[in-house]
Amino acid sequence: MKIQLTLFGCFSEFEPGAVLELDLADAANLTDVRAAIDDYGRRHWPRYRPGLLGASVLASESELLCDEAAVPADGRLVLLPPVCGG
Amino acid sequence: MQNNPCFQLLLPAISEQALDPAAALEFVADADFGATTLFLGRVRALNLGRAVSGISYSLFAPLVLRVFERACCDAAAAFGPQLRLHVSHSHGQLQVGDLAVVVAAGAPHRDQAFRACRKIIEIVKHQAPIWKKEHYADGDSEWSEGCALCSPATPSALSTAQAATQTTAATTTPLARAADTHGDGL
Repeated sequence: MKIQLTLFGCFSEFEPGAVLELDLADAANLTDVRAAIDDYGRRHWPRYRPGLLGASVLASESELLCDEAAVPADGRLVLLPPVCGG
Repeated sequence: MQNNPCFQLLLPAISEQALDPAAALEFVADADFGATTLFLGRVRALNLGRAVSGISYSLFAPLVLRVFERACCDAAAAFGPQLRLHVSHSHGQLQVGDLAVVVAAGAPHRDQAFRACRKIIEIVKHQAPIWKKEHYADGDSEWSEGCALCSPATPSALSTAQAATQTTAATTTPLARAADTHGDGL
């Protein structure tokens, strides 16, 4: 399945357009998505820190998602690093 | 989203419209209310000893609005039901002195208004998916560290909102808070 991951915060500067597309196995869950992001980040993002990914959460447009959750049917996810509004 | 007529939730881009405290106060006014509180968060010129020239704010609007709505629902449940609430947050390139966030609460009495306003701004600052990149006078810039949304320790406005919209509990994650690095310094 193809995943379209929209990046926010510092991640948004790591990838042109702040969008990362990943190709994963059809049965992939969000743990697999995290692993794929980590692998991609280590290979392509010079300023990537695995700890930041660990402190970030995957979400759809309407909810935060735990790693055990299935990938949304439309394959669209967002990656939300630690927040600091105000 | 934003079904409650007593809540006003706005996310204007600074390039389109500055936040408007007067409009916020007008929205929360009511003839039966004797108290109004207003919180204004501005970009300040100094942070952790560094001279700041501005802040770039970005946000994920769909979830920010959910957090704002849940924050208002929580405040109304705790301190209402007679409350009118306004929450707005700017985004884009803000300069020193620009308003980043406005929270206003109208209530019959001052205690309700103070507590509602405080509760909401804390949720906004620690749970809404908003990010800021500080720009310094020396030309450097840096993303502010913040609050992780994935700690298992603390229930969140967002996860509560999800539960209220029939999201499966097992798929939601709570939030934790960490120290602020800019804003009102709390």
